[in-house]
Amino acid sequence: MADKVFDVVIVGSGASGGTMAAWLARSGADVALVEGGPRINTRTDFNTHGMPFHFENRHIPVMKPGKQGFDSERSRGVGGKSLTWNAVAWRFSQRDFKGQTFEGAGEDWPLDYKDLEPYYNRIETEVGVCGNRDGLEDLPDGNSLPPVPMKCSDLIVRRGAAKLGVKVIHVRKSTLSRPVGSRPSCHFCGNCMAGCDVVAKYNSADVHIYPAMRTGKLTLFHDSVVREVSVNSENRATGVKFLNRLTQQEGEVRGRIVAVAAACVQSIALLLMSRSSRYPNGLANSSGMLGKAFIPHFTNGVQCFLTDLVGKPPSNDEGFLDHAYVPSFMHSRKRAYARSFGIQFNYQNRRSTGWTRMIPGIGADFKKAVADRYPAFLTFQPYGEMLPGKSHVDLDWNRKDAYGLPAARRNMIWGDNDWKLFRDMTAWSLRILDSAGAEILSVGEEPRTNHELGGARMGSDARTSVVDHTCRTHDVPNLYVCDGSVFPSASEKNPTHTIMALAARTADEIATRLRKGEV
Amino acid sequence: MPRRRETLKIMGAVGSTCAFPFQADELYGQHEHAPGAAPAPKLPTAPSFFTAAEFETITRLADLIIPRTNTPGALDAGVPAYVDYVVSRNKALQQVMRDGLAWLDQRAQGPFVKLPQPRQLALLRPLDRMKDKPRSGDTGLRFFQAAKGLIADGYYTSREGLLTGLGYQGNTVMAEFPTCLHEH
Repeated sequence: MADKVFDVVIVGSGASGGTMAAWLARSGADVALVEGGPRINTRTDFNTHGMPFHFENRHIPVMKPGKQGFDSERSRGVGGKSLTWNAVAWRFSQRDFKGQTFEGAGEDWPLDYKDLEPYYNRIETEVGVCGNRDGLEDLPDGNSLPPVPMKCSDLIVRRGAAKLGVKVIHVRKSTLSRPVGSRPSCHFCGNCMAGCDVVAKYNSADVHIYPAMRTGKLTLFHDSVVREVSVNSENRATGVKFLNRLTQQEGEVRGRIVAVAAACVQSIALLLMSRSSRYPNGLANSSGMLGKAFIPHFTNGVQCFLTDLVGKPPSNDEGFLDHAYVPSFMHSRKRAYARSFGIQFNYQNRRSTGWTRMIPGIGADFKKAVADRYPAFLTFQPYGEMLPGKSHVDLDWNRKDAYGLPAARRNMIWGDNDWKLFRDMTAWSLRILDSAGAEILSVGEEPRTNHELGGARMGSDARTSVVDHTCRTHDVPNLYVCDGSVFPSASEKNPTHTIMALAARTADEIATRLRKGEV
Repeated sequence: MPRRRETLKIMGAVGSTCAFPFQADELYGQHEHAPGAAPAPKLPTAPSFFTAAEFETITRLADLIIPRTNTPGALDAGVPAYVDYVVSRNKALQQVMRDGLAWLDQRAQGPFVKLPQPRQLALLRPLDRMKDKPRSGDTGLRFFQAAKGLIADGYYTSREGLLTGLGYQGNTVMAEFPTCLHEH
């Protein structure tokens, strides 16, 4: 195997790496997929149907006992974060891609909605996305399976929001509301983020990688922690070096093209680690932009009780976590900041009862107060778009992991626009909840990050960006980076669907180059 | 609230946030991040951290805060053993609990458990301020917040508390998610 040169070596097997691997293998390319974690059997290895009282510390671990190995911090495991994601799947709109043009804020993507539209279409058909067609300017409709009905509590929020002229729509998720192929539809057990045991929820391992391996064109190197992308004296990537996760033994996979898709921060870290005399500050970093313009979403959490449901009998409303969504509505309103936010809500899992301790009372009164509020508990979480500023990712060479690799550090520096947006999205959350009738339990005071994006941004100018519009690095002609790290601006929408469309487009580009013999 | 313009935050080496950062979602027991190795919900009745006298007080507190009513109480759900389990694995909580239990007996001018129930409740009620931030000398408040937190965690994640006390109905297989028939 060591002598073999693959057409493409992909690092990372999540939504991006998995999609790319399958698309390339189907195109006839000889693909190696290198993943740091183990193979996981989604049908038997997850604690999907666990209850807190099955465990002494009342924490439901992702993996079943004896099935250790999934590193949930780095999401190492074949399938990556797609194993435990919540599967929300929005298309970005032209406004999301062109913040600079529309508002003079953020960075324009060097591509248009029209460039990604065919890939959104094909990904939706391929993986199955449920949702409604809402006809919103800011949220292009897709090829959807029927939406899942809203929960009773969603309708209460929708009524309150409507009084303020704010829309509440059906969520769109890469979770099946109807069977597709051999995958059954969702059974609404409500523990999506512990790993779906029937693959009603998309994960890249079961939907993309394992089927593609049956073509004989995809070779999986699991438990292989990549520590370096190798580049030769002709400035060409030649493959990757890895350490076996269990034995620490060195290994190497060679390829004519290398694509890094290890998830935003891990991809940045890998390139920063891949130093050489030509690239002393990290591979493909002649611009100095690698790690810069880090723009994860920021969120705020509100916990509350809907007064209409206090004292009502509990129902089985776990569903598939959130069924509804408040799409961005600030673009059309006067405001003191650029960009916008959307609100995810009602995704609480009723197995989580950490809030009960906050309820006042001792004795029978306490029990009643908790039981009355239990069916009414609701989480509300706006997601804001962060503008590229000083936040960045770097390496801490003094902190090494078990493989001797330096730790990636996320340095968050909130800008003026970020704070204004953060305060306004908190205020709007409270306004909507007040209009719906809610008793507020807690409001977060500081932004928290989620959905890591940016740090290897896409652009047409090689001096200010890391990759071009095909996700090819400006510096190394056969090296690609394709995941959230390439986003020049973040939108307020959950990014994975766009990452998958981008991965499919990049796979098409690579396949074309291979076919034309350009590599 | 942090300073407005530039707040530098180093978020550490690995793992950003979990997908949904809740404010008060994490249980004390989950602060021990070891994987819950074996599903062994049967906890021993003899405490491993608390002394017999301390454990008696914990047991009394659990019964006061979550008594048996028309649904099971904290003692039916084995909550004192859960409290002992979590505290035995959490150094910071050990200090808070030990100091607090001593403080409680001091306030009771003798063993807290020997007080008549109305006096026990009178001593605890002023401490029931779960959202207040305890100041450095606030041994009583700090203790009560931890104790009530542990007792609520233990009860509402137990089979008795979650299924019977709260009426949890999820974790089932549904062919379709039902449409809400209420008028909204």
